[in-house]
Amino acid sequence: MARIGGWAGKVLRADLSTGRITKEDTVEKYKDYLGGTGIGYKVIWDEVPPGTKPFDPANKVIFGVGPLAGTGAPCNGRTAVTTLWPTCWPKPLIASGHMGGHFAAALKYAGYDAVIIEGKADRPVWLSIADGTVEMKDARHLWGQGIRRTTLEISQQMGPEVVVAAIGQAGENLVPMSVVMNSYSHSAGGVGGVMGSKNLKAIGVVGTGSVYIAGGKDEWEKAVKYHLTLLGANNQHVVPTSPQPWAEYNNPGTRWVASRGRQWGAAEPPVDTGTCEPHNLNRIAYRTNNLAFYLGDKAWKYTVRGNGCTGCPIRCHTKFKVPSVATKYGIPEGGQNTCAGLLLGTWFYKSFPDGPQGETAIEAAMVGMHLADDLGIWCNYGQLERDFIKMHYEGIIRNKIPEDEFKIFSWDKYEKGDPSFLFQILPRIAYKQGELGTALGLGTGYMLERWGIPEAEWKKDPNLVYWKLGHPKHHANEDAGQSGVIINTIYNRDTQCHSQVNFTRNGLPIDVQKRLGAELWGSEDAIDAIGAYTPMNVHKAKWAKWALVRKELHDSLSICNWMGPWAASPLKERGYRGDDSIESLLYSIATGDKKSREELDQLGERIFLLHRALTIRDMVTREMRTKHDTVPDWVFEDKSGKAPFTKGTIRMDHADIEKGMEMFYRECGWDETTGAPSADTYEKLGLGYVAEELGKKGLLP
Amino acid sequence: METQNQADLASLAIPDFIQKRSEAGELVTAEDILDAFLKMGALTEKENQRADFEALLKKTVKQNEELKRIVDGKAVAYYYSTRTMTDAYAAILIRRGQDEALLMAETVRDNSRRYPRPVPVRMFEFSPYSLTTEGISSCLDNMADQEQYHDIQQTITSIGTVFLFSTAYLEPDYANFLAEWIDVGQARSP
Amino acid sequence: MGDQYEKHEALEDMLGSVSLEGSCSRRDFLKWSGVTVVGMTALWTLAAKAGETPLIIMDQAKGIVIGDPTRCVGCRRCELACTEFNDGKACPTIARIKVNRNLNYGVQSVFTGQRGQGTWGKGLVMQDLCKQCPHPVPCANACPNDAIVVKPPTNARVVDLKKCVGCKMCQRACPWEMISFDADTNKATKCFLCDGKPRCVEACPAEALTYAPWRDLTDKIPPRVTPTAIVAPAKTAACNQCHKR
Repeated sequence: MARIGGWAGKVLRADLSTGRITKEDTVEKYKDYLGGTGIGYKVIWDEVPPGTKPFDPANKVIFGVGPLAGTGAPCNGRTAVTTLWPTCWPKPLIASGHMGGHFAAALKYAGYDAVIIEGKADRPVWLSIADGTVEMKDARHLWGQGIRRTTLEISQQMGPEVVVAAIGQAGENLVPMSVVMNSYSHSAGGVGGVMGSKNLKAIGVVGTGSVYIAGGKDEWEKAVKYHLTLLGANNQHVVPTSPQPWAEYNNPGTRWVASRGRQWGAAEPPVDTGTCEPHNLNRIAYRTNNLAFYLGDKAWKYTVRGNGCTGCPIRCHTKFKVPSVATKYGIPEGGQNTCAGLLLGTWFYKSFPDGPQGETAIEAAMVGMHLADDLGIWCNYGQLERDFIKMHYEGIIRNKIPEDEFKIFSWDKYEKGDPSFLFQILPRIAYKQGELGTALGLGTGYMLERWGIPEAEWKKDPNLVYWKLGHPKHHANEDAGQSGVIINTIYNRDTQCHSQVNFTRNGLPIDVQKRLGAELWGSEDAIDAIGAYTPMNVHKAKWAKWALVRKELHDSLSICNWMGPWAASPLKERGYRGDDSIESLLYSIATGDKKSREELDQLGERIFLLHRALTIRDMVTREMRTKHDTVPDWVFEDKSGKAPFTKGTIRMDHADIEKGMEMFYRECGWDETTGAPSADTYEKLGLGYVAEELGKKGLLP
Repeated sequence: METQNQADLASLAIPDFIQKRSEAGELVTAEDILDAFLKMGALTEKENQRADFEALLKKTVKQNEELKRIVDGKAVAYYYSTRTMTDAYAAILIRRGQDEALLMAETVRDNSRRYPRPVPVRMFEFSPYSLTTEGISSCLDNMADQEQYHDIQQTITSIGTVFLFSTAYLEPDYANFLAEWIDVGQARSP
Repeated sequence: MGDQYEKHEALEDMLGSVSLEGSCSRRDFLKWSGVTVVGMTALWTLAAKAGETPLIIMDQAKGIVIGDPTRCVGCRRCELACTEFNDGKACPTIARIKVNRNLNYGVQSVFTGQRGQGTWGKGLVMQDLCKQCPHPVPCANACPNDAIVVKPPTNARVVDLKKCVGCKMCQRACPWEMISFDADTNKATKCFLCDGKPRCVEACPAEALTYAPWRDLTDKIPPRVTPTAIVAPAKTAACNQCHKR
């Protein structure tokens, strides 16, 4: 029997209503959609009728990984979780979350490329996947427990190697602002409530099998080692933060923070991170320390080591130890997370008595993680905290909640920057306690509606960075000018696209970035220096399309879009060039399905297009340009009144953005007036059946 | 025998030594190398050694493309290997400990022109600059009085961090914007 | 009984020339250093089936992989390199360096909850590595087919796939549970030091693994399990000639 490479071969389907567990052939049914979000969107299109609500049993949630997951290809540890989105306002639409950790690899070794969860169990269950043996088990003893206990108890049953994706009390209580989490600190935002609505507490996976490489093992080894040489630090930043002997460039804003004297201070004994010369592939794990990157130099002394996903050498999570929090707050002194997950507690506060990078900020981070990562609360990329700050200081909370509830909170402590305040607010969100807890847990859109606040107010405030549909921007014009704006119009939650920002923040001088940009997107004009933006041009549109198509490709291959694509590298001898074909190289060898960069990008574009189609179908409109692809007011404003396209502002221009959207639609083969893809475009990308269905509903341009 | 030894030194030991020191972030003088070799026993003391060694060193550098010789303000010659140290880094080292104001100014100008961006003044406290806070302060004071440093200006972010930039390459407004972005903005958009 | 005596004398004779304390002449050492399983069994003129005579492996391994748990970042690239680059498939379960089983809760496992090591505890990740045991080599000894042999140039103890019948006795013999069983080939597999360039060491992004000159770690690292291998009684009896207490 010929073994397929890359894919594990089976898609698992668990019908929680009937208890039936079935398996499908991945390659037969889903090869053209790769995996991850590709399978997710396909299942939702085929099987979930428009108008379904996120917590209806008819909704499905698909945990999908790609053919590269579980291999030694660097940065492949992510699982895409696709479903109808609970916080998408005013109408739920298709979206996906992503979680790292070890879940993706475990699923592959168990023999599966995806798990489709459908229906609703009549009582709490958890799904046990041990290679070929898949069972629904009674979760009544786990229901009501946090993510940590749930994981521990399942580990006691399934062994210490089990990977558990679990929801906390927030998900159980159908709080839309909830997550599913695996491997201690790796969460997929927004989907906890969907699992909760299905009475699914957790999925435990033990996999003892293999992911086969179709190509020769020497060929694969060569490709993997080649890829390793191109890696930078987290977010593919290719230049160190401080001058290093080997480095031509340096940039205080990058995540390549290693240097002599900077140590993992809480390791016993401490480990010096050193100069991390880029050809030394045995020191990749020392380049990044996100705890120190976010919370300052003080944080080095609390750092135990890096951590992260299976097979990824970057270690973007930091495992750390803050002894003071044990006595001060009664919480464990160990913590671990990265980025917004790390900063959840810190971001609740306007300021701290000892500044933004003092000890209190670190303690707030610890308390926040301790609570949110166990209760399973989602931050909506910081929107939860930004909304909270605005609403408190503008008296909105006081206005909207009953007086006796307002009195429960120690507002003075909050205003003083006391992390203990988080004990008051976070559990109330998870348990839907009181008006404030309930409202905050709905997500911004539904919260504003509940409190009678027009969304327009949120769209004006530049501090909120709110975008639309209940979610904030995610690397828009502040990072990538018009391309960033275009990218942020596409999704139905905050755009989880990092292709563009990985490039702009990589630390290279602007002339080098322009040179690389010219090679990849047709002209140096694709790239502007930050805050020195120039009018729209077609290359910026090409760049935006590349960023989006690659994001979907990554989410379907299992490549981390927080690292890829590899547009640049730290190697001077390559002119800092990365390799834009690395994805197709690895895919071709692993699966044996030889595809060029363009061919694989086409596949990515198909998946991207299916997301577009789903959005159109469920919004029941083809007027995407006016009704969906909107840009908030604050993007077109500047508080010091600077005009667009002058130095020192990220302010955009209406007419210029209109032009940008047109150029982008043209690049994608979408109708310029409506922004709806044409029948022709669907056909070309193998989605003729989609065009047919949309055509019947009058949703083609 | 001596000539053979010398040939070995030239082709192997000297470049290797310089390369290793460069990797560690250090420039070396002829004296540094000679002393090290004497200590190691690679060479034995003899008359006229300094002069002979310097001549050998010059020859070695000529023959090895990756070895470079760089001279500081006091006409002292230093060596590094471009295999493990960039010209940019060597340029920082050569000025450090001599004209600190010029070091700061050149760094600020280079950053303002190339990336372009302002430089957080704190950066000069860390390796490879390793200036003291007092040293930095006095440099800044001196620079304010000198015509040749008039382009070096300060900007302060909303959380009080001081950045330096060169008006020759960055407008004050833009420098302030970039400082704010580096110091505050980026961390708010993780 | 007489045969046993003969065997014993021959053994003493050989061992007499190789004193572990005193010096051994180069010539003597050369005489005995080439001793392999085949050589040894030749001494027993009345040798019974393979696996019933004591297995004496005198060649120490030349190298050993050593792990530093305070540097391990739990990425598992070692397990992936071991299997992908050697077996052409990503299969941490058969990796010959074992990290995943200690990753979450440490060596003492899940019942230590958040008080152990690993990600859930204090953070240390113990890398379980083959000690390339000196005589008596538990896995080799337990093999009824003498399929675990010494392989130059590293002298690693290696599964000879031609001889292995997949009985898994070696797996039950290793006190550190380091033997893997490949369900695809139906044979055991173990660390063979990648012929002197261990792939795990090469792959580690945290410099947490080193390839060092061999030293005896068998009495320094506590066993994971009490071995349950069954060795043929005749073999055990023969072993007891030297090892009886």
